[in-house]
Amino acid sequence: MITCKSISKSYTKGTNIVTPLENLDLEVGRGEFLALMGPSGSGKTTLLNLISGIDSPSSGSLIIDGENIASFSRKQLTAWRARKVGYIFQLYHLIPVLTAFENVELPLLITSMSKAERRQKAEEALEIVGLQDRSHHTPSELSGGQEQRVAIARALVADPALLVADEPTGDLDRESATMILELLQKLSRERGKTIVMVTHDARAAAAADRTLHLEKGKLLENEPHL
Amino acid sequence: MLPLSYALRNLFRDKSRLLQTVGGSALVVMLVMAAAALNGGMKQVLAASGSSRNAILLGAGSEESIQRSEVSAQLSGIAEATIRGVSKVMGRPAATAEIHYMSALHTADGEKGQALFRGVTPSALLVHPEVRLIDGTFPQAGEVMVGKLAWRKLGIAEDALMIGKKVLLDKSEMTISGVFAAPGTVMESEIWAVIGDLRMLAQRETVSCVVLRMDHPKYFSDAELFAQQRLDLELTAMRESDYYAALGDFYKPIRIMTWLTAGLVAAGAIFGGFNTLYAAFASRIRELATLQAIGFGRFAIFFSLMQESLVACLAGTLLASALALWLLDGMTIPFSIGAFTIGITPGVAVIGLVTGILLGILGSIPPAIRCLMPALPKALRS
Ligand SMILES: Nc1ncnc2c1ncn2[C@@H]1O[C@H](COP(=O)(O)OP(=O)(O)OP(=O)(O)O)[C@@H](O)[C@H]1O
Ligand SMILES: [Mg+2]
Repeated sequence: MITCKSISKSYTKGTNIVTPLENLDLEVGRGEFLALMGPSGSGKTTLLNLISGIDSPSSGSLIIDGENIASFSRKQLTAWRARKVGYIFQLYHLIPVLTAFENVELPLLITSMSKAERRQKAEEALEIVGLQDRSHHTPSELSGGQEQRVAIARALVADPALLVADEPTGDLDRESATMILELLQKLSRERGKTIVMVTHDARAAAAADRTLHLEKGKLLENEPHL
Repeated sequence: MLPLSYALRNLFRDKSRLLQTVGGSALVVMLVMAAAALNGGMKQVLAASGSSRNAILLGAGSEESIQRSEVSAQLSGIAEATIRGVSKVMGRPAATAEIHYMSALHTADGEKGQALFRGVTPSALLVHPEVRLIDGTFPQAGEVMVGKLAWRKLGIAEDALMIGKKVLLDKSEMTISGVFAAPGTVMESEIWAVIGDLRMLAQRETVSCVVLRMDHPKYFSDAELFAQQRLDLELTAMRESDYYAALGDFYKPIRIMTWLTAGLVAAGAIFGGFNTLYAAFASRIRELATLQAIGFGRFAIFFSLMQESLVACLAGTLLASALALWLLDGMTIPFSIGAFTIGITPGVAVIGLVTGILLGILGSIPPAIRCLMPALPKALRS
């Protein structure tokens, strides 16, 4: 599903160049749930942004579902993200003026779906995360855990093959975190989603099929757990 | 595309900012409408004041000011007997000698203003058919009739110029015999008296001009020919419409000043508006980035921001139009040769609407660009 070949990412900050990722190789199988760990500043978010087409690598090839997105323009990446990726953020990033239902419906507005189809898909997605009864609530009327579940519904509503999550449980209590992790596991196992999740929490990483450690822009270890 | 409801709900996220945007755009639109209405009103009164059928015979070299012109008191008789094409109404030629004279007028209540006097003969009503007595009688010796808007031009109370009241022209006392209307013309702000009275008052032997009403605008050439042939009289013939058009040019700097003032205040308000909108959009940079992460193109997001700004500016335009109709429509504005009424005409309303739309669209471009420019990973982190 994901094949990164010697990708590097560097930023120029004034006169000096920062290289959070250097010559990184990574392979993620279809339907795999991968956890990425590593100290702060090790380049986890940077890698996630590359995989999800939020950013482009400085060099190397990045083949996702058969397409080398490393060479895509900003415009191409935008259209690609709409089809292929659902992004789940640590701080949910729901649109505060829209209801849960409207937030979930958002990615479908980019498609040519009819209103009725959009409604059905959005309701299905809310049902998957168990929040069909909260569809008319605005984000401020939801708990953090509920907000994150709405965000997951939004990420999966357009049925993308790939879900990326940047510390999705980082801001949640234990109980809510468990619920989110179970949800991600279910999406991977039952719906075949490929999931890449960044986390600081070893317990969260344990929910994944495999954990990789990033340190100073390099993948250090490979610990599969069964 | 993002739904319109998203743009509308965003408007109400910060009520004080919304108020600033609506108020600021209302101010700009109102100023532009006021400037358009003022200039339109002034243009219109000058255009309506002169008829292309009327020929003015005035002293050569005084084409810019009838008040400074002097022609012989006998000219009227000579002109109406010589020039073909002068209209006749029931056998009477439509021609009048006139004295145009500006002087102070004092009312019985002690108020005072600069008035425009016109000394005329009864035939003046044939030459200026738009002048219509609405009350009282045409003046006899020792009397005047006042235009309906003369009080406005003078800057005095309206009832000081009622029929039967006395007014002082320089030092001679006159009685008001009538009130006349001459809609949309400068004459409506004038005070008319018998020409003999004004000749005494102005202490002159001559008159200012002779005005002839021709059967058709094309007969103006007859009056022109007369002026050219009678070198001894030292005359120029001018179409009355041309005379007022030239006066209009004279007021051009004032019109430019009006636009300039409106433009300067508007520019200030627009920059304020840029900042307000920028603050509104910038507070949502992360949200705008999230929409991009979901897959919305920058143009779709820009379009939503523009809708937001456009709706606010249209609300401002509506407010400005209501205020303009309420405060400005029908207002009379005095100026040096009379007074004019400003109207919020459909033309002015369209100018206001176009201003509002342009404000909404153009005003959103710089702040939207600034908020959509940052790199996505950075914007998502903010
Ligand atoms: N836009 C940028 N410009 C310059 N440097 C950047 C930029 N984005 C990231 N970096 C740098 O790249 C490095 C990796 O950042 P990244 O956000 O990927 O770390 P992270 O592993 O996600 O850390 P954390 O666990 O704190 O979220 C950091 O040193 C950071 O300062
Ligand atoms: Mg990070």
